[in-house]
Amino acid sequence: MEVNPLAVILVYYDSKGDRLLYRYPYQPLGQTLKLEEPREELNNKKRNPFAVAHTDDLLQTANSQSQSQNHHHQQQQQQQQQGQAQPVQGQGQGQLKGFADHVLSTLFAVKPQLCHQKFELKLNDVRFVSHPTMISVLPGTGTGTGSGSTAAASQTLAAAANSNTTSSSSNTVALGKKQQMVINIVFALHAQASYSIVKCYHELSKRLGLALKFEEQRSGYLTEQLAQMARTHDEQQQEQQPLERILELIAERCSLAQALKSICNDLCTTGLLSTTLNQNLTLTFCLPAKAHQLHKKGSMVDPETIDRCLRALKPYHGMLLLVDFAELLDCVPPTGARMLWQLVDAYNPLISLQSMASNADLSIEHVYKLVSHLVYWAKATIIYPLCETNVYVIAPDAPLHTRSHLVEKFSARFAGLSLFEVICDFSLPTSIGHLTTPLQQPARQGILAQMVLWMLQHHLLMQLHTYVQFMPSDADDEFGDSASCAQASNLTEEEHDQDEDEEEEEEEQQQHQQQPDEDVDQLAHGGGSMLSMSSQPLPVPRNAQRRGLAEDQYSLASDNIVVQPSSSHKSNFSMTASLSTDNCDSLDSIEDEQKLKELLQVFSDADRAAIRRIPASTNVDDLSLLVKLYQMGYFKSEHHLEEIMYFENLRRSQLLQLLDKFRDVLIIYETEDPAIASMYNNK
Amino acid sequence: MMHAHTNEGGPVASSSTGGGSGSASTEGKIRCIFLGEFDTTAGFKISCQVPENYISKEVFDAINVYIIPKPPLQRCNLTVNVMDVKIVGYPVGIQDQQKYTRNEFIFNLCFVCDSRSRSVQYEPVVKKLSEYLIMMEEESCFLSREDDKLRLQHIFETVLRDLNERKVATIVEGDNTIYLKIVMHKPDPPPVKDHMVPLLLANLRDTPLENWDLTTQQILPYINGINHVARIAAEADVETDLVKSCIQNLVYYGVVQLLPILKYSNVYMTQNLKHLIQSAALSNACRKYVALQPDKLLPSVQRIFQFYASMTHGVTLRAICQRLCPQHHNIDERKMVIFGLQHKFIRCIHKYPVFTGSVPSARQKMYTGLISFDEICCKTGLSPYTIEKDIEKDTNVTVIWK
Repeated sequence: MEVNPLAVILVYYDSKGDRLLYRYPYQPLGQTLKLEEPREELNNKKRNPFAVAHTDDLLQTANSQSQSQNHHHQQQQQQQQQGQAQPVQGQGQGQLKGFADHVLSTLFAVKPQLCHQKFELKLNDVRFVSHPTMISVLPGTGTGTGSGSTAAASQTLAAAANSNTTSSSSNTVALGKKQQMVINIVFALHAQASYSIVKCYHELSKRLGLALKFEEQRSGYLTEQLAQMARTHDEQQQEQQPLERILELIAERCSLAQALKSICNDLCTTGLLSTTLNQNLTLTFCLPAKAHQLHKKGSMVDPETIDRCLRALKPYHGMLLLVDFAELLDCVPPTGARMLWQLVDAYNPLISLQSMASNADLSIEHVYKLVSHLVYWAKATIIYPLCETNVYVIAPDAPLHTRSHLVEKFSARFAGLSLFEVICDFSLPTSIGHLTTPLQQPARQGILAQMVLWMLQHHLLMQLHTYVQFMPSDADDEFGDSASCAQASNLTEEEHDQDEDEEEEEEEQQQHQQQPDEDVDQLAHGGGSMLSMSSQPLPVPRNAQRRGLAEDQYSLASDNIVVQPSSSHKSNFSMTASLSTDNCDSLDSIEDEQKLKELLQVFSDADRAAIRRIPASTNVDDLSLLVKLYQMGYFKSEHHLEEIMYFENLRRSQLLQLLDKFRDVLIIYETEDPAIASMYNNK
Repeated sequence: MMHAHTNEGGPVASSSTGGGSGSASTEGKIRCIFLGEFDTTAGFKISCQVPENYISKEVFDAINVYIIPKPPLQRCNLTVNVMDVKIVGYPVGIQDQQKYTRNEFIFNLCFVCDSRSRSVQYEPVVKKLSEYLIMMEEESCFLSREDDKLRLQHIFETVLRDLNERKVATIVEGDNTIYLKIVMHKPDPPPVKDHMVPLLLANLRDTPLENWDLTTQQILPYINGINHVARIAAEADVETDLVKSCIQNLVYYGVVQLLPILKYSNVYMTQNLKHLIQSAALSNACRKYVALQPDKLLPSVQRIFQFYASMTHGVTLRAICQRLCPQHHNIDERKMVIFGLQHKFIRCIHKYPVFTGSVPSARQKMYTGLISFDEICCKTGLSPYTIEKDIEKDTNVTVIWK
């Protein structure tokens, strides 16, 4: 796993010199302990053919190693559990004799110019990242404030000094003038760790530095801890204890070392950490790339993806918790918990964030912040509030196979039901409303909703939304198409085109014949421009065919709405309407005419012509709604129906009727919400 | 096999990763090359830098311990990324009691990149160039003689220019010829399976056939975006495993993309379809690509969009073709599907049979939910129809589409 840290290292540096005080795990980096066996095993494996070219290249060796890890997953996993630093050891190979502590110490004891900024160092295939922090030691920390422990520490330090420990010990006995020291908490990572993972570790190091700075200035905590670590080193080195033993002892004696150890362990297991330094300052941190794997194995969610998802957060979105209420609290410092409880009290996956905000009496901005936090910490996910009309389908990367642990988990949760039986209903896009009938008991719907929520929590299902694209398939184009085809055939007279062209010619003839019949339409156009006049109406058979298919597609797209009036009805209706406007000279109709013209001004000439061909374009209400939505940019495949409904305060049926009326210029299709889908691993 | 691809790999790799790798880190250019030295009198110094003063004195003073590190770190690839520069180095110390005043000559050849760019690909190059310099130093004191810095500067200038422009550099210096080449590191390609269809990316069609290795030469004519691996193996008369590893190799170098097999019974689903309209370049490329007869009027974006938009769960390609008659609009539906898959407007919805009974027998063992329908057909050699019948009869098998 390239996410896990290989080690955490604490280096300290002041005017007297530098020293590596603590690191975890204790095996020296790069030293081969139980390596002989696994390495041999690795060498025997068939190597990645792509590594052949660079046998001397360390990065590739690591790659081939990870490759074989994939192949022999279980064995390798065991090994990894045995030795945390195994991958580093793996690159021994005589190239790197191991990093001696004093070498690391000089590398990480950075010059003051490099403090308070990101520090990244790559040594063969280990990447070190940190944020060196310069801390000024308060004059008189040791003596003045007189807190018992620090006084004791300085005393024993003096004792240590007496006993002639000449090493660059880290004592900072108050000299009366201000001293500077640099501490550097370094995380060692695999070189392949991605940029965003490195960034997260840098952030963690930065926060740790800041926390230690604060604690140092508050109570001299850091001075005391560092002194104790240095003392332990000196004492034990005299007794010639092995280094591992010394580090163990340090972890027993110093709470800071303890904290670093637990941080390293937490990062390797959950990616979530909450550590209290000096029993005072709580530091919480989340490594999203790791934390999100808890709910979905093998997923790599980097912070950028989460940010992208959260930037797209809208009031109509909903939230789905992934963990129990009790687990929520470990991601917030106790001080921030009150607001979170307020939100959790109002939590309901069936309602939108907006409603949750008003129920919880919080502002929507606060709710966004809380939800973003929960999502980042892998405690919640963003959904569209669960309702009957939502259309779900199996997620493309759903881990559905017979050996999946989810199968058992599901039947344990829903008394003996088979996950496959339930989820295969969603092989085709389906809504909850579709799966239940009024004849069934109402309880069944509740269970189904629970199951859908469960499947959403495990990213097995994905919601589909309907999007609209304004795209008049204009007659100009069509006509031009066939005309040019005809021309081409006239010029070249290719045999194999003949049949097709003949067809088209026939159609053209049909068009001409039908022109008189289309007069009504022409009239309806009013005083059309030259362009709209010249554009030929579509030949009837083709038109009918297109309409038929548009409707077909449309009924597919909206499985969940009430039956639409048949198109023939409507066109009859509008036809009479348009006739009546033509015949009737009342003031109203003239005003309407004017208004329609104004409304149509927003479209380009070609688009306008296409819209005018639609009967509903003579209805002021319909047209003005269309123009409004068009101008708001809702027909650019960017907004799904639910969003349009929410922001324009429309009912689903209203919107669907409008889309149906103008279906000749609109293309309607189903796809996933890109903001939410980005959290899925779409491969 | 390797050689042909290292010749072709360079430019392809850069173009494909440039677009795909996203905002986080990019393949950056080399901004500067310098030689850091430990001078017995002056201490740490930059003795030659191209372009001049790219690394200022302040920056160098802050980082000189990483340029000339302690002896245990010599001959390691050491990259340091601080103060907005990323420096890839390979520190070297040459011991010689006669030649050097302190018995050792310490230097480090460094490439400098932007701090956000990837630099792994330069590590072998830095190492190799260092080895050349070590050799030249040992032979003729090329580095330690003061008067030769101009020649070194000339080498650096050439390397910087050629590697950035062509990713390959060849320099003749005295008796030595220096060959350098940047090889990209990419994640391992996925395993190739029998039922997958390789598609040759267009910009490689004009590479002369003899530049490829023998296996590739033999199978290349059969790679057309329609034939699947097993069929290519059969038609080219090459062993299947050989074809697979060859294609995997081509995938690694970005020459070939793997697509699902095209059947008229396939179901596709749109994703990010809006990119097709939002990018004029893409939609024009699409119109050209999908045209049935390129000499006729190209199909309109509207038609193409409508075609893609009608792809959804439960609608087979056959049904769409019957409804929209793409051939009447000068659209080749097969090319359309290929283009959509290639640019990820659409993805294929695969069928996965899952055995839900207790003890699977014979073929049921394959119904784990991990093996798609296409793969099963390929493995068993049975027609999709036979297997479909078989599954329909079997009450213990559920089919999942995803």
